[in-house]
Amino acid sequence: MKKIPCLLFFLILLQSANLFAQSRFVKDTLDVSGDSVVVTATRTERKLSNLTVPVTIINAKTIQQNGSLRLTDILKEQTGINLTSGFGAGIQLQGLNPDYTIILINGEPLVGRTAGVLDLNRIALGNIKKIEIVKGPSSSLYGSEAMAGVINIITDASMGAPLTIGLRYGTYNTVDANLETKLQTKHFQYQGFLNSYLTDGYSIRPNSNSRVRTPIERYSTTQQIKWDLSSKTNFVLNTRYTNEQIQNEIAVTNNGVTIYSIGKENIKDFNASASLNHRFSKNLKTSLRTYTTTYDAVQNLLTINGLPYRDVLNHNFKRIENQTDWDLSKNLQAVFGMGAVWEGVKSSRYDSEKLRKQNDIQYAFTQWEWKPSEKLTLIGGLRFDQNTQFASAYSPKLSMLYKLNPQHQFRFSIGQGFKAPDFRQLFLDFTNAAAGSYSVFGAAQAQQVIARLDALGQIGNLFPNYYLLKALKPEYSNGMHFTWDWKINSSSVMSVQLFRNDIKNLIESQQVGTYISGAQIFSYINIGRAFTTGFEVEGQHRFNANWSINGGYQYLRTGDKDQIAAIKSGTVYTKNSQGYSRLMKLNEYVGLPNTSTHKLQVKLNYNSPKGYYLNLRAIYRSRWAVNNNNGNEVFDNGDVFASGYVAINSAAGKSFKNGVSIQGGIDNISNYIDATNLPNLPGRTFYTSIKYELQQNKN
Amino acid sequence: MKMNLQKIAMGLGLSIALVACSKDEETIVVPVSAITVKDLAADTVTGLGLDGRPQSALTTTYYSLVDNKAIASTDAASTKWDIAFSSTKILINGGTSGPGIGGAFVHIGSFDTFTSIPADSIFKTDNANAASYAIPLGSGKAWYTYDGLTTLVSPIAGRVLVIRTATGKYAKIEIISYYKGGVTLPSTASVNDKLFKQRYYTFRYAYQPNGSKTF
Repeated sequence: MKKIPCLLFFLILLQSANLFAQSRFVKDTLDVSGDSVVVTATRTERKLSNLTVPVTIINAKTIQQNGSLRLTDILKEQTGINLTSGFGAGIQLQGLNPDYTIILINGEPLVGRTAGVLDLNRIALGNIKKIEIVKGPSSSLYGSEAMAGVINIITDASMGAPLTIGLRYGTYNTVDANLETKLQTKHFQYQGFLNSYLTDGYSIRPNSNSRVRTPIERYSTTQQIKWDLSSKTNFVLNTRYTNEQIQNEIAVTNNGVTIYSIGKENIKDFNASASLNHRFSKNLKTSLRTYTTTYDAVQNLLTINGLPYRDVLNHNFKRIENQTDWDLSKNLQAVFGMGAVWEGVKSSRYDSEKLRKQNDIQYAFTQWEWKPSEKLTLIGGLRFDQNTQFASAYSPKLSMLYKLNPQHQFRFSIGQGFKAPDFRQLFLDFTNAAAGSYSVFGAAQAQQVIARLDALGQIGNLFPNYYLLKALKPEYSNGMHFTWDWKINSSSVMSVQLFRNDIKNLIESQQVGTYISGAQIFSYINIGRAFTTGFEVEGQHRFNANWSINGGYQYLRTGDKDQIAAIKSGTVYTKNSQGYSRLMKLNEYVGLPNTSTHKLQVKLNYNSPKGYYLNLRAIYRSRWAVNNNNGNEVFDNGDVFASGYVAINSAAGKSFKNGVSIQGGIDNISNYIDATNLPNLPGRTFYTSIKYELQQNKN
Repeated sequence: MKMNLQKIAMGLGLSIALVACSKDEETIVVPVSAITVKDLAADTVTGLGLDGRPQSALTTTYYSLVDNKAIASTDAASTKWDIAFSSTKILINGGTSGPGIGGAFVHIGSFDTFTSIPADSIFKTDNANAASYAIPLGSGKAWYTYDGLTTLVSPIAGRVLVIRTATGKYAKIEIISYYKGGVTLPSTASVNDKLFKQRYYTFRYAYQPNGSKTF
């Protein structure tokens, strides 16, 4: 019995610890309480009930029973998360844009953002063990981008069937096929996963021959190796590769003449991480990790009578990191980490697609966890990031957990998050010949480029902004989260969370001057200030052994602080229906675009001991502002809104004892369509799938 | 109706005040009423070039605020016109644009409540050589914003173009729409509509013929 905690400690090895958690031994030990283990919140393995910050866990069973294929499918059914469209499907967490949530796969960041958005349709869910969502600034552990929170996708390692085959077919000829193999010996574990996703895409816009969702062929594979070199040392290797082909037919009709063009896009996404983990003693362990990832996108547009257009983006990110966990005493545990990042981007939108723009980052972090009593846990963390291309950032965070009694516990956290200026904001060198010949220059070189143009006599005017261009600072957010968990009885739980994020130094494009011709020149400047605030309520109730219900609601308010100040000072006007201006009142202000005041989702579950299951999920999102059409740059009731909507999804299935499981489902049962604002929501779709798991030899 | 009464009442109040303090000049200030001009074409689009840019004949539409009518471009070098439009560019009859003594500035406020031009206001004139215009060019600069995603031009709320005419009288203008029909197109409008229905100005203006700076 004594051996168990000792071994357990050994097995708790940092990020890669999630792989260990799979091993039957650990899982059984920790799962006795029915309490999940979370790695993302503290970068160490902790039980969910011992965390000081709010975390949501989505497990494999939920993903599978919901019939979710891509990461977006499952995230949109979570409290406080909305999907965004434009530059792929991103997510908005507690009202903050996709730029502000870091997406990790097994603890390593994904790269390849377009205009700040990571397209989460890239991520297949077939082999995912669980998804952990940490809400609130987490830059104290993860650095840039972890402003709104962290989403960590943890792939299934070595538990389960040696061979799994899955096939799904659905509306729009969408075929999703999975193959997963697992090998285990005493000291060695291997998992390989192959996924192919093919779809014809769809057109939900009437009389349009261009498709909202384009035909896609996507293949991805992940490989995992875990090797125990000794009882104290192990090695973990993870690789992931995705290759996707998108074909887009565009038709532009002009003067009765239709110009057809074909766009072809190829995206390759590769990640590899290796970690060496060693435990020196019961109280001290360390991990050395390396990670490399490349995102490569090539877009070719071939028009019949126009010029060919080519857009290239190649983003690479390499990191080496060490993390050491030291338990000073039973009540005091410390984490130390440091690392270096080499990040580079080549793009045809920069001065030359052959030249790689580089940013190097060095960082160090520490986190101290102190448990003065059984009821109270306090965690303090600090991270420092130093960059070659922009100002350094300190990210502190304090959080606490107070367990009043077995029924009630309270968490409070306050922290600062940051988002480094991205490569586009630093290095963009883009002149749009088609629309007024305006130019956008990244802040890191704008002064240089403009000075060169000035010497050639091309610059008309320079604005005062131009002289502020030099040091682009990271965007900062101060976040506060307060959570109350209430275990009402053995079959009901609920939690209430209040949150507020204050963001400053928002990077926005601003005109800095004009050409002689009057055409505009833009660059990026830290100017904006904004906030998001609100509350979330989540609850779960079990009616009996078979039926249960769970749900969540988010109330959200957002705003641009400068706009609010302008409205208060009486300098913002709005237009009436005749197009006449009048002064705008503060109560007409609706906040940031694309944010909804209400989001609600409810899920009804049925699970029988015989392996039958059924679920019915409803998601409601209230209206959100999309376009400013009354000419005042701020969003008010007179602007264009996407209407609120309800989407209802359902899935049912059965798992047989011989390893076969079948599933059928309908998404968007009420066939809600809004082609303009919800391009990622097709009409009603049907699917059916079959899965076979090779049964393990029971001896 | 109520609005009109208020306006008249306000105008009367002002006129009484002015009459009271400028007895010897004997100017009688009559409240001016706003006139709406609908769908004034200004270098409308003829087609789409291979470069993806709208093509047009690069014309300018000249307009007399005094007579409330368009002026032939053959009279461009006269003081018959007060204001001219060419796509999003608005010119005044002064500086490099014309032989008049016109000028303008952009006032932030509402058209209705802007009833007198402050004495210290500075009227600018056009200087095409320095790309500097009395009504500055560009999105967000004077009277409109351009949204690159929807490709729509929307007049900014609360912008009054204060005009000194070719002959030195005063007028105020509010641009209502840049699209045919007098309403900014919805973002969902077709590419064709966005292309061919643009460059039609609907605006309202008040012209004070007596030379005073009140409306």
